[in-house]
Amino acid sequence: MLKYLKKYWYCCILAPLFMFGEIAMDLLQPDMMATIVDDGVLGGNMQLIFYEGIKMVLLVLFGGACGVLCGVFANIASQNFGNDVRKDMFSHIMDFSFEQTDRFTTGSLVTRITNDVSQVEQMIMQCIRSLVRCVVMFAGGIFMLYRQSPKFALVAACGLPFVTAIVVFTLKKASPLFTKIQQKLDRVNCIVQENIAGARVVKAYVKEDSELENFSKANDSLCSTNLRAQTILAFLNPCVNIVLNLCVVGVLYVGGYTVQANGNITPGQTMAAITYLSLILMRIVFLANIFQTFTRAAASWKRIREVLNTESAQKSGTQTADTDISGEVELRHVTFSYPNLPENIVLDDISLSVKKGETIAIIGSTGCGKSSLVNLIPRFYDATEGEVIVDGHNVLEYDIQALRSKIGIVQQKAELFSRSIKENICWGSEGATQDEISKAASTAQAEEFILRMADGYETAVTEGGHSLSGGQKQRISIAREMIKKPEILILDDSGSALDLKTESAFYEALNKEFSDTTRIIVAQRIASVRQADRIYVLEHGKICASGTHSELLETSDVYREICRSQLKKGEIVDAE
Amino acid sequence: MPNNQQNNPPKVDLRRHGPPMMGEVEKSKDAGKTLRRLAKYLLKSKYLFLGVFVAVILVTITSLISPAIQGEVIDCIKERSWDSFKLLLILLLVSFLLNTLFTLAQSLLSARLSQSIVRHMRYDLFKKIDHLSISYLDTHSNGDVMSRMTNDIENISNTVSQSLGSLVSGVLTIIGTVAIMFYYCWQLTLITMVTVVITVFVTKVMSTKMRSVFRRRAKALGELNGHSEEMITGYRTVLANNRQEKTKTEFAEISDRLTKEGIHAEILGGSMGPIMNCISNLSFVIVAAFGGYFALKEFITIGIISAFIIYAKQFSRPINDIANLYGSLQTALAGAERVFGLMDQPDENNSGSEKIENMQGNISFRHIDFSYIPGKQVLYDFSLDVKSGQKIALVGATGSGKTTIVNLLMRFYLADSGEILIDGKNILDLDRDWLRKNTAIVLQDTVLFSDTIENNIKYSNPDADKAAVVKAAQTSNCAQFINRLKGGYQTYLRQAGENLSHGQKQLINIARAVIADPKILILDEATSSVDTRTEQGIQDALVNLMKNRTSLIIAHRLSTIQDADVIVVMEKGRVVETGTHEELLEKQGAYYSLYMAQFAGNKT
Repeated sequence: MLKYLKKYWYCCILAPLFMFGEIAMDLLQPDMMATIVDDGVLGGNMQLIFYEGIKMVLLVLFGGACGVLCGVFANIASQNFGNDVRKDMFSHIMDFSFEQTDRFTTGSLVTRITNDVSQVEQMIMQCIRSLVRCVVMFAGGIFMLYRQSPKFALVAACGLPFVTAIVVFTLKKASPLFTKIQQKLDRVNCIVQENIAGARVVKAYVKEDSELENFSKANDSLCSTNLRAQTILAFLNPCVNIVLNLCVVGVLYVGGYTVQANGNITPGQTMAAITYLSLILMRIVFLANIFQTFTRAAASWKRIREVLNTESAQKSGTQTADTDISGEVELRHVTFSYPNLPENIVLDDISLSVKKGETIAIIGSTGCGKSSLVNLIPRFYDATEGEVIVDGHNVLEYDIQALRSKIGIVQQKAELFSRSIKENICWGSEGATQDEISKAASTAQAEEFILRMADGYETAVTEGGHSLSGGQKQRISIAREMIKKPEILILDDSGSALDLKTESAFYEALNKEFSDTTRIIVAQRIASVRQADRIYVLEHGKICASGTHSELLETSDVYREICRSQLKKGEIVDAE
Repeated sequence: MPNNQQNNPPKVDLRRHGPPMMGEVEKSKDAGKTLRRLAKYLLKSKYLFLGVFVAVILVTITSLISPAIQGEVIDCIKERSWDSFKLLLILLLVSFLLNTLFTLAQSLLSARLSQSIVRHMRYDLFKKIDHLSISYLDTHSNGDVMSRMTNDIENISNTVSQSLGSLVSGVLTIIGTVAIMFYYCWQLTLITMVTVVITVFVTKVMSTKMRSVFRRRAKALGELNGHSEEMITGYRTVLANNRQEKTKTEFAEISDRLTKEGIHAEILGGSMGPIMNCISNLSFVIVAAFGGYFALKEFITIGIISAFIIYAKQFSRPINDIANLYGSLQTALAGAERVFGLMDQPDENNSGSEKIENMQGNISFRHIDFSYIPGKQVLYDFSLDVKSGQKIALVGATGSGKTTIVNLLMRFYLADSGEILIDGKNILDLDRDWLRKNTAIVLQDTVLFSDTIENNIKYSNPDADKAAVVKAAQTSNCAQFINRLKGGYQTYLRQAGENLSHGQKQLINIARAVIADPKILILDEATSSVDTRTEQGIQDALVNLMKNRTSLIIAHRLSTIQDADVIVVMEKGRVVETGTHEELLEKQGAYYSLYMAQFAGNKT
């Protein structure tokens, strides 16, 4: 953490210094007032009152200026700190391998970069301002109180342990309740969420009343826990106050009797003592608040550090995109399992090769490893054993960006960004002309619906693409890869949300426009793959058969079974 | 805004209207009306409300008295009148004790009050959500509805528990303090008032400035959160397109902007404290200096100076508070308005009370026209007769209106014209709940609840015994995998069943339909999102389920529906063909080309 703060060291020093200034002025005032009362009023010295008054005003203004400046420097330090951490985290995350991101989960990464950073930012701010302020005020207050009279300090010393005990006790009692409240709140939200998302089912089975009863239970339980926590907290302020007030009475009592005994305490000092006393004791309550921010921030910093300390697991090679051959892919005895589940072998001794301009298809049921296989080609993951070779070089030799510039991959789940459709399409290839965009879109069968929209290509995609249907999103993401004109095009089940007519029109356009491109198609539908030069049938991570559609119908039971599940028995020949 | 939402096009994302942005004050449109409705909730716990009110008044009075007594004590010390000193000291102690006691009572009561309001509001809102029409839910983002339940109600609760008390006590304190100060020494009071003028002026200037700076910061923050969420969740695409560097630059740009705005905002916001502190110190100086002067001239005693110091402090605080309160009060009111806006949505149509004895399950659709959005018609003159026990399939491209028919049959939506009859009775004359109880539906998107598998299966019939659950599980082919799970039927499904595969989830949904034992069964793309071999397993379960029921099947995979009694081909809201699989193939029309596209792939 210090590493990030070092850049702003001058702010970290200046801010507390100004804070000292502000507090010193605050602390001086009651003392000066005591002088006004004792020497001015009781001593009948008008001039003294006047001068002291002017002095006080100047000090107040000086103190105020110090306070503002302290804020300025504390802010510069903490926010720039947050900014640096945030940017560092983001660029770390962008360099993570898929496996690393999977381990963190994307949701958690987003929370870390947003919430956690601002938590720590706040803590730095508090550390510089409030903590310094609290400690100095506390120490200064005790010193000033002592100066008025050691007896007053004794009164404060009696009150202190009580206030501390009350604060600690309350926090101890209340904080476990807050965890409980969070859990119960989650439960309430979960029920609401399920009822909104599953409204059709709730209504179809006429479950409104029983769901209400369910909710009511969760709600009551949340409210009663909440009430318990608030009840405990309700005691905090009055209890601290009563100790404080008892101390005030104590000061008055001591003051009174010492004055009576003609001791060395004056009425003015007694008045000042009361002000100092409340300054000191209230600090304990503030400290408790700061302590809470600290615990939260410490947890956040730990989560931030986890990200910052994770170095990208992928080493990039040096091979450039400039290779002798282009558009060839070969897998040699590739075995793969996800690093977080090493015992579960996803791909087992896979060998296959694709020549330039060929179309191969990989088919198999869900979970057979189709997507994992194609993910090895652009190095989204690395093979556990064996070699993946693109254009004559092992993928590990390539500069990773050079490798990926050769490959266009369309994922099953279309990911669009909240900008215009046009920007989404040329996302990977800036500077594309309108002609190129419209050509890519029409190959992807997207142009028609895009032009039907009110703003055409300039139509904004809303967050997560809610305004588009699944098929439309898929077609835009296909167009995004089309415009790149990659050497190798991978379609990872990317036609699944298209209706069949559109899908076959797309394949037709693809064959026409991209006949030189090496195409790897992952699919579940026989209709999508039957035109391929070679079809690989994947079963439990192994290639169990390969060949053309008609060859496989002859030789492979699994393939025939897949066909049968999609056609009706005995109709394979009909459909031919 | 909430009242005219029905006219919006589908899926408007209103989330950004949900949680109020930091530092920005939203204005409610009709504060008076909203306040009156809020008051109704307050009055639900009349005695609590009264109790809080009385407690606040007592707290205020005791905290007004204490400084006066304290001043007297100081005077006693100076005058050395020790008899009254002791008496006053005891009096002071008593007033302190009472103050503590009343403060405690106030906090306890207002905690209770706010919880009771929140509980009632949440209950009412949930009840409304469960009775909202599907059309409302379809056209509003879930996040929008959720944020009313969470953020808005939370805001209201905080305001009630904290702000209300400080508002009342603030006003009382100001009035009381000023009165007592005037009583002691009107000259000194008037001079002290100078600081009030400064406070009000500074607050006003600062808060106008702050609002615009904070709004800018909230905007930058929203952008940053949006950007990082998008890029991190979509990072596969970022990587595949080699956009890391570009994305990093974009992020850095937004992040820098946020920092700049943030520093501006926070410096301004952070200055508020020292400036207020400065003003309050100024009033201290004024009291000390002028008080000293007046005391010297013997207008007042030193004790009064001591009391004045406390009063002056006591009275600048509520002014600050009230200025802050204004913002949170507005936010809460805007939230309340949104909550009430949702509560004011009409319940879904609940006409009709008839029930059919010995229902046969004949369905007929007569000349139905329908549009979700006026002007964009989805169904044109749709007519169809389904006989009891028949298996009818609806096929057609996306957007041809298949699902709409289900929506109408289930009374999720009402037809614009035409009627739907079940056994000759218009469904609008039938009891809605009875109709739905006799119609089971299996959707493409599986819906599971965070509960045990057993409870999820018997969701449609909570009285079902274990044997019935097991039987339903067997019928729907899910008994096997349930038995393999460690917890068996008692396995708790977290987050809508994330520990199950999609096919398994769908089988549980089918089991749920089995146990409902409906006369009419609707399968809306029930197997579209599972692969074809998994589908076979589900298909067998469906065949079991469809026995002796009138079934309506929607599918875009034609292999699913080839043995249907009637296949209805739809195109752009119209029926274009009907017949059996063989008849339709022979016709070589719309069905034929769909079929060919599906099985012959690129050949067509």
